Amino acid sequence: MASATASSVSFTSLSSSLKKNQVSHLKKVSVSFGGKSFKPVPLRFRVACAAKPETVEKVCEIVRKQLALPADSAITGESKFVSLGADSLDTVEIVMGLEEEFEISVEEESAQSITTVQEAADMIEKLKE
Amino acid sequence: MKLHCFDRKFFHSSPSLTPIQLPSPMETHLWYVIPREVKSESLLNKYLDILSPCEKENVFQMRGEEPRKNALLARALVRTTIARYQINSQVSPRSLRFKKNIHGKPELEWQFSDHGLSPPLHFNISHTSSLVACGVTMNSQIGIDVEEKHRTIKHNILTFARRYFSKDEVQYLAAILDPEVQRQEFVKLWTLKEAYVKALGRGFSGAPFKTFTIRYKGVAGGSFNPLEDLNPEALQMVVDSFDDPIELTSNWQFVLLELVGSHYAAICMENNVDIEGKRTVPVKLTVWKTIPFLEDECVSGTDAVKTVSGLK
Repeated sequence: MASATASSVSFTSLSSSLKKNQVSHLKKVSVSFGGKSFKPVPLRFRVACAAKPETVEKVCEIVRKQLALPADSAITGESKFVSLGADSLDTVEIVMGLEEEFEISVEEESAQSITTVQEAADMIEKLKE
Repeated sequence: MKLHCFDRKFFHSSPSLTPIQLPSPMETHLWYVIPREVKSESLLNKYLDILSPCEKENVFQMRGEEPRKNALLARALVRTTIARYQINSQVSPRSLRFKKNIHGKPELEWQFSDHGLSPPLHFNISHTSSLVACGVTMNSQIGIDVEEKHRTIKHNILTFARRYFSKDEVQYLAAILDPEVQRQEFVKLWTLKEAYVKALGRGFSGAPFKTFTIRYKGVAGGSFNPLEDLNPEALQMVVDSFDDPIELTSNWQFVLLELVGSHYAAICMENNVDIEGKRTVPVKLTVWKTIPFLEDECVSGTDAVKTVSGLK
């Protein structure tokens, strides 16, 4: 009984610390977006405004899951899939994950040109327009 | 005298590489490195030393020590491998220049124009976190892909196949009842398809996976089971391309190997149509395990290389 109590305490503290990390991570993303929208964005997909922070966050989550990266690993819009350790099979699975999450259909030509989180997010926004 | 001075310069400026004769037509050379066996800091620095500034930048863009090391080994393997063929006495690993074709496929750029046409040396690399491989041919386009045998995917295999593979390939995979065997055949098929696309050099979008089928020669329509029928002729892989009717299936040959018991390696080679008779000439393959500048070992015919299909 004592051990059961102990484990429930540690679980609670773990989940609250996770929540804390999530919040601070989101904050970081919003800040970088605030700055980014005024700078010229050198992307293949030229959109009027940068993708919503929630979209980028969801993409990061899918990438993180696919590549089995720790929850605290730094993934930003600029992160290249290849630099995070993705090979061609991973990249294709990431695109598949994005299709499922956002209920979109990505042509293979477009799929190939996505190399960063930002590019993925921008493409999603464009397809959802 | 010039040669003598060069020899000395070569010796001091870069450690030695065992020279190798160029592959003959329809011959492939495959070189591989096992990253976890390369531990020496000084050796890794020697590799760094032969990279171009652009390649160095790409290496350092990788996140994490292991991915960085693998990226470094990949470039070092390409440079040292090609330099072994001593196409020209002025060639050293560091002096090699690369360019990309219009679709982005890396190719050798031949600088020494006074030596006439560039040698038709083709190469292609592939790597996983535990193996880096480089294939070399003369006169033939080549594409290679390596995958860990035990690689799993996050999605259901048939869901993935329905999304990306051709109908015939989905049918083939769906007919396999044992999930482990199905997974293995999936990985093999993936490496073969990747190798084909890389050989074509048109990029993923140039030959979308759905537009071609790679199958065992013995399959078309019959109830061929590659796991039971050990007829080597039937085990040959062929490609049926839907978009390209002019692209004859006999233009491309495939070799599928098991490397060091841990990886599937697929090699796709252009059939040299200059060969008279146009019959399919069997591919000759030589495989070396290497730690560039340190040691080479020819492993053809050993347990390190097991042919799955494509070689007599």
